[in-house]
Amino acid sequence: MRRSVVSVFLSLCLIVGFTLTVNAAEKPIVIGAPLSTAFLYGWDAERGIKLAVEEINAAGGVAVGGKKRLFSVEVIDTRDLEPQVPVSEALLGVEKLILEKKADFLIGGPVRSEAALAAMDLLNKYKKVSIVTTGVLTPAYTKKVEDNYAKYKYCFRNTSHVGVMIGEFAVLFDDLKKSQGFNQAYIMVQDVAHARGGGEAMKKTLTERGWTVGDMKVYPTGTTDYSVGLTDAAKKNSQVLFLWMDMPESAILLKQWSDMKSKALPMGFVNAAEQPGFWKASGGRTEYLLVNLVNAGNSPSKTTPWTMKFCDAYKKKWGLEPEGYGTSSSYMAVYQLKAAIEKANSVDSDAVVKGLEDIDIMGVYGRMRFDKKSHEIIPSLDPKEGAVTSIIQWQAGKRVQVFPPKAADGKILYPPWAK
Amino acid sequence: MEVLVYGIINSVILSLYALGFTLVYSISRLPNFAHGALYVTCGYLVFVLTNSIGLPYPAAAVVGIAATALIGAVIYRFILIRIRGMEISEIIATYAVGLAILEGLRWGGLRGMTFVLPTFYPGSVTLFDVSIDIQRLIIVAIGIMTFAGLYLFTHFSRIGLALRGIAQDERAAMMLGIDSDMTAVVSLAIGSGLAGFAAILVLPLGNIVVEAGYTVLIFAIAVCIIGGLGSWSGAIISSFIIGFAQILTEKFLSSHFTMLVAVLAIIVTLLLKPSGLFGKQKELEERV
Repeated sequence: MRRSVVSVFLSLCLIVGFTLTVNAAEKPIVIGAPLSTAFLYGWDAERGIKLAVEEINAAGGVAVGGKKRLFSVEVIDTRDLEPQVPVSEALLGVEKLILEKKADFLIGGPVRSEAALAAMDLLNKYKKVSIVTTGVLTPAYTKKVEDNYAKYKYCFRNTSHVGVMIGEFAVLFDDLKKSQGFNQAYIMVQDVAHARGGGEAMKKTLTERGWTVGDMKVYPTGTTDYSVGLTDAAKKNSQVLFLWMDMPESAILLKQWSDMKSKALPMGFVNAAEQPGFWKASGGRTEYLLVNLVNAGNSPSKTTPWTMKFCDAYKKKWGLEPEGYGTSSSYMAVYQLKAAIEKANSVDSDAVVKGLEDIDIMGVYGRMRFDKKSHEIIPSLDPKEGAVTSIIQWQAGKRVQVFPPKAADGKILYPPWAK
Repeated sequence: MEVLVYGIINSVILSLYALGFTLVYSISRLPNFAHGALYVTCGYLVFVLTNSIGLPYPAAAVVGIAATALIGAVIYRFILIRIRGMEISEIIATYAVGLAILEGLRWGGLRGMTFVLPTFYPGSVTLFDVSIDIQRLIIVAIGIMTFAGLYLFTHFSRIGLALRGIAQDERAAMMLGIDSDMTAVVSLAIGSGLAGFAAILVLPLGNIVVEAGYTVLIFAIAVCIIGGLGSWSGAIISSFIIGFAQILTEKFLSSHFTMLVAVLAIIVTLLLKPSGLFGKQKELEERV
């Protein structure tokens, strides 16, 4: 008995050793990740990519050409989210990944829209397939692919853009109107292109849907006092305060909102309030705030069977919950790439483009397939049909997913002082 | 009424940002462009001392301010002393030190939005039908006490009188035995400590981020240029001008232009009275 156990163990060791030797002999597939790593949308994306790579490699790697190849990751800090850092810096980073680090594919950024749009020509020049997974909220990215497919076919995006997000918010506003009788909104946005665009689009959408928009305040980056806007919103009996900001000073706004006991329910795209530690950091003053995390899986939820599996694996590896936007999409992009390579049975860029266009998998945030013309992930409010968003509400220190209804884990709560 | 209440609060915060910067310039004619970085450094240091080491908040605040003051003194003793009198070099050197500090903090882990200091007292009150959080009222009260304290220090203490002596006439003060370099070290230390003090008061309103260093520096420079470089009373008055102008702009024009107000005020001041409202520097040339 003892001898047979030993022989089984030795055989296993030989098999594992042989497999590892074979895998080690194969050249790894290099994923280049151009990310602004000093910011949430960069570092969390990096963690997502590394987690997926680790899982895939542990399971044997990618089956291509009758062999198994492992993934390796090269991350470069593009610094494109830092103020006053030029777009050219991000482009240099992308080029360095391709030429020096010999990246076969790119996943992640650049994160800022201007930088990502400028990088599209580089991707065409070097024929490198890229899946943008974080930032880049401009609809222009995939519109460019649609308008000039031959040139930009290597560019994909597996997350959302402003247009889709506004549509999702509109549905949520409709629900609020129907269930609570709300029809007065007030908009506060940051003075940057995507936020102004988001605010204007929201104002138009709300007006069309029968809402009265008290005003739309545009705040320059660095604003440290929001009292005039909050007082004005109160005077106009606003019931919802729509925010679109990614500046750190939005934390001041949220604290002022709570301290002034503003009656308007705050919601929107607020970068400062995404991280799990923010509730504690704000002394609980983010309670009731609704935040769009763009994709499910950027906080724990039961959207698909894979969502909690991903969140648990992330927490086990990194010691905390996924922190915000860009995490689940970056993680899933690696699995999408794996599926596309295996479908194409090649790492040739043109073959992988076709593979990405054809794959249809159930992922962390729902069914994941790309539009064949624009290379935009197909969105939906039903995880069985497409990629779903995640609008969470801070409730007793936890991020509870409250939208879309088909993937909600809880209901929206209202501040007691708003009654 | 909200314009008056929040105008005062905004103005006091601006003057707290600028007080240390203008003190250093008025005494030693040194433009400390690392001022904003020292502000953030103090906030982050206090955060680390309270959250990682477990020091009680008041003790951490005292250590933070003292450490910031020490950094200011070190900046003069090891860097500025070698280039004193070379104005452009002073600006470049202090800005470089500030940049190194801020980017060093980012590299060292000051990333994200979850670094905050606790408020002195939670909650809000309603005054004259305007809702105000208690932290802002504390800022106003302590701010006014700080202005008064600095006035008393510079007018009635031995060190304060020495500092003023150097500020008024450096050569005459030196003839009376006042050490110019030591005075500069003291002024840099007090100015940097004031940056740290402002951080302890103001940062609980939001969070500690690297970008705050640049914002504070811009406002400090704006206040000092408009008030007149080196003039304390000018700095306080210009803080109120900018503070109220910002609130009025948001109220009656657009929030979009609130940050422009400070920049526009600098341009107008430089065009009409380059020495600033109460500045003595270049005043004679302007009159001639």
